[in-house]
Amino acid sequence: MLSSSDRRYTRRDTVLFLLCFGLSLFGLFSPTSWGYGVADTLRQTVLSPLVWLQTQAEEGRTSRVRFRQVTSERDSTAYLAQFLPSLRAENERLRQLLRLSRRLSTGYVSAEVLHQPQAMDGRTLLLSAGAREGISVFSPVVSPEGLIGVVLSVSKRSSVAMSWAHPEFRVSAFTVSGNAFGVVAPSNEGRNGEGALEFRGVPYRDSVPLGTMVLSSGLGGVFPKGVPVGTVIGTVREEAGWERVYRLRPAANPGSAAHVLILVGGRVQDLRTAFPGDSLLEALRLDSIARLRRADSVAQAIRVARAARRDSLLRASPPQVRAPVPQAQRVAPPSPILGGTPAAPLPGAGDSTP
Amino acid sequence: MSPNRVSRVQLLLVMLLLLVLQFYLRPRLWDARISPDFLLIALMLFSMRSSPGVAAVAGFVVGLIADTLTPARFGAATLAHTLVGYLGSWGRSVFFADNILVNAGFVAAGLWVRDLIVLLASGTDHRQLITELTLYSPLQALTTAGFSLIVLLTFRSMFSVRLDA
Repeated sequence: MLSSSDRRYTRRDTVLFLLCFGLSLFGLFSPTSWGYGVADTLRQTVLSPLVWLQTQAEEGRTSRVRFRQVTSERDSTAYLAQFLPSLRAENERLRQLLRLSRRLSTGYVSAEVLHQPQAMDGRTLLLSAGAREGISVFSPVVSPEGLIGVVLSVSKRSSVAMSWAHPEFRVSAFTVSGNAFGVVAPSNEGRNGEGALEFRGVPYRDSVPLGTMVLSSGLGGVFPKGVPVGTVIGTVREEAGWERVYRLRPAANPGSAAHVLILVGGRVQDLRTAFPGDSLLEALRLDSIARLRRADSVAQAIRVARAARRDSLLRASPPQVRAPVPQAQRVAPPSPILGGTPAAPLPGAGDSTP
Repeated sequence: MSPNRVSRVQLLLVMLLLLVLQFYLRPRLWDARISPDFLLIALMLFSMRSSPGVAAVAGFVVGLIADTLTPARFGAATLAHTLVGYLGSWGRSVFFADNILVNAGFVAAGLWVRDLIVLLASGTDHRQLITELTLYSPLQALTTAGFSLIVLLTFRSMFSVRLDA
């Protein structure tokens, strides 16, 4: 090592520099295989500790990266797991929508409800389908549970629907039993902050029991017939002895609806089969039970009739032939034409009834 | 043990430390294209305190290591480091090299010249040459010069550099 004051450029320095420079040029212009051979040899011998050191460093770095990835994946999984119940509920609703779409006999367009963070959300809904999908004004909006509302305005890619919670909403309706007709409108007396409906204009003489489902009647040409609107849960008032107003529990909740179906493609007469509500299912169940009972009674009647016939045949037979007769003795009775006497009928030969 | 011998051993230990940093710390730092080159710091600091012939041999060794461990054209890094080592030793007599900032400037300039020679010797195309020399090499020169400052300040007694710059 030389200090700056003692430094001299000697011939040895020049020789060393030229030697190194020449070797460098030789390595640069030598065949590639030679260079690779030298490099491989050096890597496996002298430089192997350095390669090992760098390998450790790279592994440490990648381990840190992997650890960060695993941690972030774990956090993401934990975050997603919090939403599993809501995802399941959404899946169930989508499945219900799929089932409904299969049952519908009319054209429909599925749309997402773009909820807004405003207090009035639920009265009007922004839907993700518009004129491009064939939506027009007054197209009915339904969910698997029942009626949501009607389209108020349509733009190219979206539309605005008026739900049943809107003060101006009206739908002509009737009870599922068909004994009462009226008009359903939103109620001003919602319970516990929830919206409610009123079934108005029901004649005083037509009493509607609690739990009866009310369906749209199709009158007016806007809503198809048979879409569930709500279930009777009580009486609101009676107007001077000529009208009763019933409170309905709405069939569908616009505030929680995430996906809806918009019915398009003209009027459909009846959609009752597309919405097998609780009362309808109950009616179908009762109907099937009645059918089973009827079938059971018919079978029982047949059994009784056959038993009675068997008894009558036994009673009509003489006592001596009641004993079983061996097959060998079962000979054909002599024909009267041939001068024989008619024999008594043999049991077992003509009784084919069980 | 004479003081001169002690300083040589200490300098050797610092060189070894830089070697370890090159292969253990550098892979853990940022992008490899702009992370500091500890081997070049060691070469420059060594060559500025050595005769040109020894500096050329040191550059040759450092270049050989670089050629062995990097996929560039074999011989290019050896040539570049040999030239940079020799020029670094020669430049000390021209510039006022006891100044710490001059040392750092030497390191930065040496890295840029090294990259220039390696790129030219490797037959790099024009566009990549411009990009490397105008973007990545200056950035790496800055980081390398910064780390060389840290090394010089940390081991100032061994390098006998002026700190009143």
